[in-house]
Amino acid sequence: MVRKYLQIGLFVLIAGVIYFSFTTPAPQQIIGEASRIFYYHIPMAWLTVVAYAINLIYAIRFLKTRSELDDFRSHWSAELGTMFCVLATISGSLFAKVTWGVYWTWSEPRMLSIFILLLIYGAYLSLRAAIPTPERKGIISATYSIFAFPTVPFFIFIMPRMMQSLHPADSVVDKNLHFTMGGTVLPIFLVSLFSFTVLYFWLLGLGIRLHKVQLARFEEA
Amino acid sequence: MSSNYTVMFANLVIWAGIFLFLFRLDKKVSDLEKRK
Repeated sequence: MVRKYLQIGLFVLIAGVIYFSFTTPAPQQIIGEASRIFYYHIPMAWLTVVAYAINLIYAIRFLKTRSELDDFRSHWSAELGTMFCVLATISGSLFAKVTWGVYWTWSEPRMLSIFILLLIYGAYLSLRAAIPTPERKGIISATYSIFAFPTVPFFIFIMPRMMQSLHPADSVVDKNLHFTMGGTVLPIFLVSLFSFTVLYFWLLGLGIRLHKVQLARFEEA
Repeated sequence: MSSNYTVMFANLVIWAGIFLFLFRLDKKVSDLEKRK
């Protein structure tokens, strides 16, 4: 019953984010209406990092426990992370079209870095699909995850800041870690970040519960 | 501003669709867990 109310609460929160993100003044007056994508694009990039971090945590746990469920948790989080990474890429590309006039440019470090990240985790998913033995699949992909994760903060936070970029810089916090947003922007952004994070954990839990039911049925049969 | 409202309503409809799908799937998984 509590779960039902929490889900309805999440629906209201995201519906509220959608309503206020389109009815309040645009976050950046210079960029204009296109800057509203900020309320969705940044949470998607944030969830990419969170999901890949959870993938790493369960990968390490799998190497300790050799539990099939931990392997599934790790794999499912990587799939969700890749979905959020694709959504961040698409929303970023739409923003690029409006502000820079092109959907894609290889000279932009942010675009290049997210593309490399997609390739790294695309390779992880392909690797899993190519190994038929469950335990071997778990061990190899968990080891891959340990080497793949350090590239995530590098490609999302470090590399784009080391190179010249047209991407809006310091849109959330400045170099002294103070919020750069004012007025109605900050509360809407924080609620958006929080509610999309809750949505990710709901999706993660839902997949794991469904897998547990499937495992129980498989053991019965 | 009126186009903002159109996009807002389209987004609300899409979110309601995704939410209903997940809500029903969650309920189905809960029923399966109880049966287990």
